[in-house]
Amino acid sequence: MKPTEMFNTFKAAPIQTIAGWQDKRFLWILMAAVSLFMVILAHSVFQIWLYMRPCEQCVYIRFAFFCMAFGGIIAAIYPKNIGLKLVGYALAFWGTIQGIGYSLKLNKIHEAAHSDNPFGVQGCNPEPTFPFHLPLDKWSPEWFKPTGDCGYDNPIIPDGVVLSNLQKTITDFYQDGWYLWPPSHFMNMAQACLITFGICLLVLAVAAACWLLTLWRKRRSLEATERLACTGKHA
Amino acid sequence: MSLRISKIIAKSLALVAILSSTCFAFSEGSDYVALKKPIPNAKNTLIKVFSYDCPFCYKYDKQVTPKVVPRLPADLQFRPFHLKTKGKYGPQGSELFAVLLVRDQKNGLKDKDLYSEKSLLKKAKMAYYNAYHDKKERWDAGPDAYLQTGLNAVGMTRAEFDKEKNDPKVKALLKEWDASYEVAKIQGVPAFVVNGKYLIMTKSITSVDSMLQLINELKSK
Repeated sequence: MKPTEMFNTFKAAPIQTIAGWQDKRFLWILMAAVSLFMVILAHSVFQIWLYMRPCEQCVYIRFAFFCMAFGGIIAAIYPKNIGLKLVGYALAFWGTIQGIGYSLKLNKIHEAAHSDNPFGVQGCNPEPTFPFHLPLDKWSPEWFKPTGDCGYDNPIIPDGVVLSNLQKTITDFYQDGWYLWPPSHFMNMAQACLITFGICLLVLAVAAACWLLTLWRKRRSLEATERLACTGKHA
Repeated sequence: MSLRISKIIAKSLALVAILSSTCFAFSEGSDYVALKKPIPNAKNTLIKVFSYDCPFCYKYDKQVTPKVVPRLPADLQFRPFHLKTKGKYGPQGSELFAVLLVRDQKNGLKDKDLYSEKSLLKKAKMAYYNAYHDKKERWDAGPDAYLQTGLNAVGMTRAEFDKEKNDPKVKALLKEWDASYEVAKIQGVPAFVVNGKYLIMTKSITSVDSMLQLINELKSK
C-alpha cells in the first residue's frame, strides 16, 4: 500500500484502521524492540561501557521495560489470537503503569537529592523488592542488582581502568549524571523514562480502545443482522 | 433553650477536637512501622542506622540529624549504628566508627554531643562522606587506603587503631550493630528506630519539628 493510500484509509476509518494495526505484528514488535533497546542501552552502554551504576528505582524501571517486551513478544506470536493478545495487553499495560510510578518516584528522589531539602522522600535501598517478590537481583545481579544510589548516576570509573578516547569523552560529558542534554542538565533519566512510558501507555490505550470498539460494533451489527433474519423468517 | 444550645456547641467543639487530634496523629504504616524483629536492649533510645556509602545519610547528617539530636527528650538516648553490609568497605567503616565512638565516650562525650565538633566519630564520618560523595573517591587501592582517610581525619595511627579494635567494648558495639541489616533492608538508610521497635518512614518526615514530634509520640508508645 502506498503512503497516500494508507493515509486515505486511515482518514476514512481511523478506528478500524488502528484496530487492524493491532491485529498485525508490527506494533507489537515495535513496542518490544523499543523496550529492549532501552534496557540494553542502559545495561550495556551506560552501565558496562560508561560505568554508570543502576539504582534501586533504575532496576525496577528495567523490570517494567522487560514486562512490556515480553508482552510485545507474546502478542506478536499471533496477534489475531485473543488469548495471546490479552496476555500482551495485560503485560504491556502493567509494565507502562508500573514504569510511570517508578519514574515519578525516581524523579522526586532526584530533585530532593540535588536540592537542600532532603525531606519527603526515601533514599535508595540496596535490597530491591520486585513485584511478586521475584528474586531477580539474585537470578541476574548484573541486570537487576542495584549498585548505585537513586538520583546519582554519574560515571564512577574504577582505578586502573584505561579509558579509550571515546569513553573518556562520553564519561566526561556525563560527569554530572545522566541528562538528555548534560551541559544544561536538561531532562534527567527519570523524566526521559517517564516520557517513554507515557508515550507507550498512550499508544496502547488508543490501540486497545479501537480494538474493543471495533469488536463491540461487529457484535452489534451481527446482532442486527440476526434480528433482521429472525423478523424476516417470521414475516 | 440557651442551655441546650450551649450543650450543642460544647458537643460539637468536643467533636472537632477529637477529629482534629486524630487528623494530626501519626499512623502506623505511613509514618512508622513496628519492627517484626525489634532491636534488643534498646529501651529509651533513638537508633540511627547509616552508611558512609549513602547520599541521603550525608544529606541527613548535614541538614537534619545535627538539629534533631540536641533537641531529643532527655530520657531518650541517641545511638548511631553503622551498616556494614552497604558499600565496598562497610566492615572497615564499622570497625573504625566503633573504635571512634568508644573513644568519644572515653573522652566524656555524651550521646547528644555526637554532633559536636569534639566528636571523633563525626570527624571521620564527615571525612568519608566528603571523600565518597563530593570527591568521588572509591579507594580502589584497597581497604588500607580506605582506613587511612578516616585515620587522617582524626589524627590516629594505624597501630593505635589495630590495638583498639580488639577492645571488648568495640567488639560488643560491632555485634550490636549487626542488627542494622534487618532494619536497613526494610526501606534503606538512613533509618531511625525509636525504642528498638518503631522504624520511622523517612519519606513522611517533612521537617525537623515533625520528626521530633513523631519521635516523642513513639517514645511513649
